[in-house]
Amino acid sequence: MATEAAPMDEKAKRMRDLLSSFYTPDPSISTPTSSISTSFDNINGPSFDADQYMDLMIKKSNLDVLLQRHVQMAAEIKNLDTDLQMLVYENYNKFISATDTIKRMKSNIFGMEGNMDQLLHKIMSVQSRSDGVNTSLFEKREHIEKLHRTRNLLRKVQFIYDLPARLQKCIKSEAYGDAVRFYTGAMPILKVYGDTSFKDCRRASEEAIETIIKNLQTKLFSDSESIQARAEAAVLLKQLDVPVDSLKDKLLEKLEQSLDGLQINPDEASKLAEHNVSSKDEESNNQGPAKIHEDAVRGFSEAMRAYREIFPDSEERLFKLARALTTTHFENMELYIRKRVSAADFLGIFRIIWEDVVLMDEVLPEAALSDLSAEAAQVTLKQFVARTFSHLQQDISDTLLKFDINQKEVVDGEVLKVVLEASGKAVLQGTTDIFQEFRQLLDENTGIFVKMNDLLIGWIQKGFQDFFRSLESHFLVLSGKTSSSNETEGLVEGKSSEKIHAGLILVLAQLSVVIEQKVIPRIAEEITASFSGGNSQAFIPGELCRVFHAASEKLLQHYIDTRTQKISNVLRKRFKTPNWVKHKEPREVHMYVDMLLQQLEEVGKEVKQILPQGTFRKHKRSDSNGSNTTTSSRSTTLHSDKMARSNSQRARSQLFETHLAKLFKQKVEIFTKVEFTQESVVTTTVKLCLKSLQEYVRLQTFNRSGFQQIQLDIQFLKAPLKETVEDEAAIDFLLDEVIVAASERCLDVTPLEPPILDKLIQAKLAKSKEHNNNNNKTTVSS
Amino acid sequence: MQGGSSGIGYGLKYQARCISDVKADTDHTSFLTGTLSLKEENEVHLLRLSSGGSELVCEGLFSHPNEIWDLASCPFDQRIFSTVFSSGESFGAAIWQIPEPYGQSNSSTLDCVASLDAHVGKINCVLWCPSGKSDKLISMDEQNLVLWSLDSSKKIAEVVSKETAGMRHSLSGGAWNPHDVNSMAATSESSIQFWDLRTMKNVNSIERAHVRNVDYNTKREHILVTADDESGIHIWDLRKAKVPVQELPGHTHWTWAVRCNPEYEELILSVGTDSAVNLWFASASSENQASERSAEASRQRVNPLLNSYTDYEDSVYGLAWSSREPWIFASLSYDGRVVIESVKPFLPRR
Repeated sequence: MATEAAPMDEKAKRMRDLLSSFYTPDPSISTPTSSISTSFDNINGPSFDADQYMDLMIKKSNLDVLLQRHVQMAAEIKNLDTDLQMLVYENYNKFISATDTIKRMKSNIFGMEGNMDQLLHKIMSVQSRSDGVNTSLFEKREHIEKLHRTRNLLRKVQFIYDLPARLQKCIKSEAYGDAVRFYTGAMPILKVYGDTSFKDCRRASEEAIETIIKNLQTKLFSDSESIQARAEAAVLLKQLDVPVDSLKDKLLEKLEQSLDGLQINPDEASKLAEHNVSSKDEESNNQGPAKIHEDAVRGFSEAMRAYREIFPDSEERLFKLARALTTTHFENMELYIRKRVSAADFLGIFRIIWEDVVLMDEVLPEAALSDLSAEAAQVTLKQFVARTFSHLQQDISDTLLKFDINQKEVVDGEVLKVVLEASGKAVLQGTTDIFQEFRQLLDENTGIFVKMNDLLIGWIQKGFQDFFRSLESHFLVLSGKTSSSNETEGLVEGKSSEKIHAGLILVLAQLSVVIEQKVIPRIAEEITASFSGGNSQAFIPGELCRVFHAASEKLLQHYIDTRTQKISNVLRKRFKTPNWVKHKEPREVHMYVDMLLQQLEEVGKEVKQILPQGTFRKHKRSDSNGSNTTTSSRSTTLHSDKMARSNSQRARSQLFETHLAKLFKQKVEIFTKVEFTQESVVTTTVKLCLKSLQEYVRLQTFNRSGFQQIQLDIQFLKAPLKETVEDEAAIDFLLDEVIVAASERCLDVTPLEPPILDKLIQAKLAKSKEHNNNNNKTTVSS
Repeated sequence: MQGGSSGIGYGLKYQARCISDVKADTDHTSFLTGTLSLKEENEVHLLRLSSGGSELVCEGLFSHPNEIWDLASCPFDQRIFSTVFSSGESFGAAIWQIPEPYGQSNSSTLDCVASLDAHVGKINCVLWCPSGKSDKLISMDEQNLVLWSLDSSKKIAEVVSKETAGMRHSLSGGAWNPHDVNSMAATSESSIQFWDLRTMKNVNSIERAHVRNVDYNTKREHILVTADDESGIHIWDLRKAKVPVQELPGHTHWTWAVRCNPEYEELILSVGTDSAVNLWFASASSENQASERSAEASRQRVNPLLNSYTDYEDSVYGLAWSSREPWIFASLSYDGRVVIESVKPFLPRR
């Protein structure tokens, strides 16, 4: 089928091509397909060469093919002929019909020309007539137009002449809106002719307008007018080309100035707060400064509201103003709390500020005043908490230092005790008070506080933690114990450390104990009771207790150190000055023993005021005070007997003896841990002093008399020391050690005879007794 | 506390105060110690730590005419050392030489190289110049400072210069600056004085009363450690000497002596009359003083006391680090017991 269809198509196509080539005069513009397929063997192509084609055929094909070809070609030619005939016939038909049509057209057109000429003529006559009418009416029309113009002008002139009167009328009726409209309408004319024809008129109207402007301005500035009226006035003024911006600036400036009046003066703040509190109690008394302030702020916010509506473009400025007011409020607050302020007062001020903020926030919600003030309030509140704590610390340190000025009397009397009690109370009461104050803050339900409650709890806990920590370091600084990291501070301290009274250190030590045992647990209790919900755990009582425990031990040790240092100085002088190798025979108990005892007595007195008594005591020597001298003298004689014996032994083989003694003697613990009891502190001090004494002795070399002097002094010391000290064995041991050390460092160990020893001691006792009596007498007589 | 269980002990016959590391002996860890006995015949012991480090052997025992208050070994000749001695009434100082064949532990006599007899009063100490092979010496009494030049082969000691500190400043001891051979520190009643040895002038001082002992940090310049009777140990930076850089609590009673470790700059040893030797770790230096404040909190947590050796019967006065094995130190208590301890377990990790 396809093979059949293809030649058919091809045939038709060729036909068309041929025909088209026939019509087109130029063969080059023949269809591209034919031109492409052009070749000499293409029978349809223009460059077909019959001879060549024949040659090719003959060469290529056999007879059968040629014959077939011949038949085919003959058929084709026949076809072409019939086609050609058909075409000629068709074209001829078309040509005949075309000539017919042309003939008909010619006959139709022939009669039209006359009609056309007629039409032209008529139109010409119509035109000439209308021209005539136009010319005849022209003059009249011109006149009418002129008259009309004049009338308009006259009306305008009339309006302008009437303007002042009209304006006046408007002023009378306060119809400023109309007046302004009239005036602005007349404005262009007045501008052009104002200098010539309408001079008076212009002046009059300008005057009127000026009054209008004035009126409008007063209206704008007057607070009594309604906001709408004022806004209208502002708009009218703007229309009158009055510089409104400057007006606005002026107004805002006024507003700004009024801010100063609104500020809470830190000096007056307390008054304000008081009144605020009191006005609560007595509602009738509303004329307190708080009320006034509130009214002022209310007015301010009203004004702001007005300006905001009047000058919509002034918002930014107003925001700024409101923010400025808020910040100054808080700044003043900060200034205020720099002084000592109670929580109630603080809250009073805070409430006022918050009210102000709320008022302003209503007017200007976009200014985000509440956010701003919340931030500021956080800062202020935090500062307040911090300041309260620092005030408390100041209080405590003041209480501690108050007495220190008159150091001389500290030892006598109960000064230390008083101070300890006072400062202990200060700490305990102070912390509880602070806590109560903070409770007040927490109970406050002003909007802002509710938000900050959690934060506040955190701050309070943190505040307590920091407070106790700083209190501890402050104690250490007060005691002169800390090596401050700050160099300048160190310098100051270094100077003052000499002056720090030992009693103060003891007070601080005991105070630390009080804080550790009473204050911190109490605060911890309160905190857990109040903020049970709070999840922030900034306050760690355990840690603080440890800190204060360490501090109290440190301070107690420091107290002992300072005391022993003093005694050590006495001893140093004692042992440095004489030439012990050339010492003279002992005549009496040396002076330094008195000083030593006096120092120890001071320690005893101080300790008795501050520290609690130990739980147990071996003997109560103080009961047998009256018969004291005899018993002691007896015991000393006994002792010196023993001493003499042992000394003579020592003279022979002392080193062996001491070593042996040490081996068998239970090793006496000299350096035991200090406890917070009177006895422990005194004992430790005495032990340290005796040890120092021993060390000083070891550094010297003695002749016989030197040794005897030491022996005498030690013998004398024995009784009073034992009286003051609980651990008699240790004292015995240490005193013996001093004697041993002296004998070791002695060139010729010959102890004093017990009777002489006893006699000298008795002499000394009598002398001191007499001295005491004399003292008493003088005090009594005076 | 492990107490003295790790220590190696050695007993002297009499009481003693001073022990010195024999720095010039590079083959052995040796110490020299001398007794303090008023009436008996005093001895100088040369002790050597056996190679295993488990035993303390007496290498030499020499009699010394008087009781020894101070003893210092010569830094460049292991056979030479100095002593300060007293006969009860009078004081003297001398340079001694250990006789050549000192192998036997029989008591033999010492050769006196030179006598430093320019003093009248109580002599405190003799210091050898720390810079290796210098022949300079300083001897101190309570008022005077004498710089000597020693010729050990000719057995002559000559006074180079002498200066009086003044009656008011009663000198008690001192240390020669290992970083600057021309300066030394001397402790006096009321202050620590710094002397320039070229001019023999007191150039600087730290007001600090009753300093008993002083030592320079050999590793870090400008760092000085002092020990007070009552207030413990202080570490100073000499460039800003107003306030101590650090304070250590010291001992329960007096802190008698302090020694900085020659190798590990943070380690400080102190001995005290509470019969204990304390090993301290003092990391705070002037460099990180800025961080000191922040470290203040940690100060309480980190105890600077690394260890306390408490196995002593009496006050401990003598103390010396070994320069050959810097983790070993020798301590000497008054009852004549030498204890060698190793601080190896406490060495800082590097």
